[in-house]
Amino acid sequence: MEHESGRLRRRDVLKLAAHATAGASLLRLGPLSALAQAGAAKKGTLNFADVGVGDPGGDWSKLSSATGWNVNLVAMGNAPSQVLNVLIAGGGKQVYDVVNIVGGMQKPLVENDLIIPIDTGRLSNWTKDSYIRDFLSPGKPGFDFIGYKGKVYGVPTVLQGDSFGYLPEKTGPLDSYAALFDPKWKGFVALEDNFTTTGQKTALYMSKNKLATIKNPADMTTGELKIVTDFLIEKKKEGQFRVIWTSFEQSVDLLVRQEVYVMDCWEPMVFVARKKGVKAEYARPKEGYLLWTMAAYIVKNPKHTSEKTKGIYDLLNFMLGGWYGAKISLLRGYMTNPDAVSYAKANQKEFPGNEAAEVARIHNNVRSKFELGGTWQNRWPTNVEAYEAEWARFKAAPSK
Amino acid sequence: MGTVQGGAEQVNIYSSAYSSASGIVRYALLAIPLVFLTVFFLLPLALTIVVSFWERAGFWMQPTFSLRAYQDFFGGPRLFLLRRGLSVAALVTALGLALAYPIAYFLCMHVRVKVSRTVLLLFTVPFVVNYIIRNFSWAYLLSRTGPINHALQALHLTRGPVDWLLFSDFSVLVGLVTSYMPFMIYPLWLALAGIDRGLIQASWMLGAPPLSTFLRITLPLSTPGIFAAIIFGFVGSFGESAVPIILGGLGYQLMGNTITSTLDVLNYPLAAAMSSIVVVVMLLFLGVWYLAFDVRAFLGKIVRWRY
Amino acid sequence: MRGGRALGTLAWSYLALTLSFLYLPLFPPFVFSLALPAGEPGGLGLRAYLELWRNPVLTGAIQTSLLVGLLTSVLTPPLALLAAMSVRELRAPRAVLLLLLMPLFIPGISMGLADAFLFRLLGIPPSLLTILIVHLLWALPFAFLIILTAMAGFDPVYLEAAYLHGAGRLRAFFDVELPLIAPGISGAATFTFILSLNETVRTGLVQGPWNTVQTYVWSTYLQVGLSPTIYALMSLLIALTVILILVIRPLLTRRSQRTASV
Repeated sequence: MEHESGRLRRRDVLKLAAHATAGASLLRLGPLSALAQAGAAKKGTLNFADVGVGDPGGDWSKLSSATGWNVNLVAMGNAPSQVLNVLIAGGGKQVYDVVNIVGGMQKPLVENDLIIPIDTGRLSNWTKDSYIRDFLSPGKPGFDFIGYKGKVYGVPTVLQGDSFGYLPEKTGPLDSYAALFDPKWKGFVALEDNFTTTGQKTALYMSKNKLATIKNPADMTTGELKIVTDFLIEKKKEGQFRVIWTSFEQSVDLLVRQEVYVMDCWEPMVFVARKKGVKAEYARPKEGYLLWTMAAYIVKNPKHTSEKTKGIYDLLNFMLGGWYGAKISLLRGYMTNPDAVSYAKANQKEFPGNEAAEVARIHNNVRSKFELGGTWQNRWPTNVEAYEAEWARFKAAPSK
Repeated sequence: MGTVQGGAEQVNIYSSAYSSASGIVRYALLAIPLVFLTVFFLLPLALTIVVSFWERAGFWMQPTFSLRAYQDFFGGPRLFLLRRGLSVAALVTALGLALAYPIAYFLCMHVRVKVSRTVLLLFTVPFVVNYIIRNFSWAYLLSRTGPINHALQALHLTRGPVDWLLFSDFSVLVGLVTSYMPFMIYPLWLALAGIDRGLIQASWMLGAPPLSTFLRITLPLSTPGIFAAIIFGFVGSFGESAVPIILGGLGYQLMGNTITSTLDVLNYPLAAAMSSIVVVVMLLFLGVWYLAFDVRAFLGKIVRWRY
Repeated sequence: MRGGRALGTLAWSYLALTLSFLYLPLFPPFVFSLALPAGEPGGLGLRAYLELWRNPVLTGAIQTSLLVGLLTSVLTPPLALLAAMSVRELRAPRAVLLLLLMPLFIPGISMGLADAFLFRLLGIPPSLLTILIVHLLWALPFAFLIILTAMAGFDPVYLEAAYLHGAGRLRAFFDVELPLIAPGISGAATFTFILSLNETVRTGLVQGPWNTVQTYVWSTYLQVGLSPTIYALMSLLIALTVILILVIRPLLTRRSQRTASV
């Protein structure tokens, strides 16, 4: 995003003036221009609901020029309620073509008849993607992020492993989730407001450090849940946590302002914090990582013609391709597909400077996480209602 | 309803039903907003209430009559959120009223109309900024390393950063009051502006001291505005979802947040039950108002003409 | 009149203090919009203001928000006016008041979801229409209360005077009552516009393929963080509104005063 210098150039000022007077740029993708676009594009527009991760800076020109399809990106939240309720209640089935969220939601989506299986044979980039082969093939725990009952439903465009971030200047090097609960950082720790990530990381920590017997941190029983929640409540009472963060922006802010020193969060927060000049590190805990992927699902839209379906497969294939993968890696810091590395290297004009090296670095970084292992994030555990109830109990517990 | 006696004629100002065509047209027009609300509000509300008595079955629901959702709520940790919501809303409303009334009064009584209109509009400027960003700005301002803490330390008022400025009940209060107090100014101003100045002047001329005039003439006549302001403040802060998660302390939630959370796991009956409970509580609150406050004051000065 | 100079200055300083307190959170967005990434050469960081127009999702969202806001603020006051009149004219003022105020009491998320279900049942696809409906539902009680408050201060003796002069009911209303409650109606319109601009939760559930500025900001805030472009947008809006209020509006009213005959 920020490649050129920040200085205000004469050209930019003139451009701004032109835009301001003509107001032409306003006619990009609103109600009026959607109509205009429908006529202008050769084949039509695909409605792509995305949580923000899948947006390559608004530039879908490579797809449009190759296939004639335009993409209308609709912003939605990642919370299950957002996704499910928008699709179930909000008439999203007839409106959206593809939904791009963090995977693992196949069970409620399929059982509610909202998505259709993906014919991977139609995706030329699928077999080329060694990441899928290595980590997400049937039989591996990663398959639960894109498949259900043996069928593939989601296209994994992004892979990542989560742990926690910290400010090494304040805490020194940290290598275990124990830091989140270390009384040394009392009042300077933040957790994510998400029972599947925070709860699972805590469970991973407790089971690996023999603080509790938890058979599978990815799918806890109600008894195990209670143990984990009691532990968290105890820490809350001791004043261990400053806040439970609920958004990307808030979480980055906590690190940048040094409001907290240790934070359960996603790696991009650390990248953004670094870009803002703060020395932040993402830990490599010995207990392992919380692994996850994005999954692009095809919505079961009764209005889909075979031509539109072909367009959708073109979009999905494009998202498994080198240009998209490299763009997303650079924008978000996530690992995408193996083609991204080679594409960036081979196309210096599109990825100037050391961008290609950056993509490679990101991919190596995430690969090593997958190799270390840990636990796969479970977005829809068997006892999901109990997860939510226990989390409500944690939130309602008095602090101090 | 309102009639004016005296003179040669008895004129019904607000007449009752005609049988003529114009009467039907009139009723049709008046009914439009009511029909709109019935379809798009009452129906969904009825749906919500019905669903609250259903039970979860897999991913969808089993239509029965069960109190399970209500038991879940009243027996669980979420009940206290209802109490908290009510007390926070009451506090915000009281504070907001105390802050807004003097502003509305001053603008109305002692400032030229043009200037006061401009000042009123100035109060709306913060609202063009997305409320998420506004509250997030407050989080920045109140943070340990933020400008307010810096100022406090620079002025030697505190030794280190003050922790409770942010992620506490205090910051939630700040967020709610700054969000809803401006809403309360306008109805107060409007009500005060509608008071006949002749009444106030008469009161002076009869020798009443300013405070007495205010308490016995101005304040009672401004009650419609107070009613509106209280509703805006109370309902707004009770139903607020963003402020708790941006500015609130550890796990601070209000009813809106916990309803969202149950919807996250598709627990529609519980979400519906909580929504219904919120509506009932608000209705009770409104009922208290109806008893304490004469709705007829909204019908204009008709009240004076009846006796 | 009342008090001395001291009271006046006290009141003005209280006003100024309150206003500045409310304006405090408007400064950080301006500062953030100028943010330069670390390590970049100097110069004014106005790039965000340029990038703003190049983001199709954002410009589309701006368009949608403005359109919906304008439509809502045009449609709601008449509806609210009709509702306020029906409080007077139908025989059940308390019931009408109750019905009109009830939408305020339901939490946004429940309302949005229930309406989404209703739309599906009625076969109304998510579109600008559904967004408009939920915004109308949300703003109507506010506009209604404001207009009702304005009407409460209206003395029916003026209407009586009009009738005695031979005016019909409709004429009396339009010529006598309406101008006197006009500040209430314009206030209701402004309120409605603001409410529509700020509505997020209900919209998110019924918006379908449309983005509003709110839902876009909400989504990026949650998932990928706010960018300087969004802060730039907010700063522009603040500047625009302040200029509108302090410069343009006084010019307009002065002109209309000169042309109006007393």
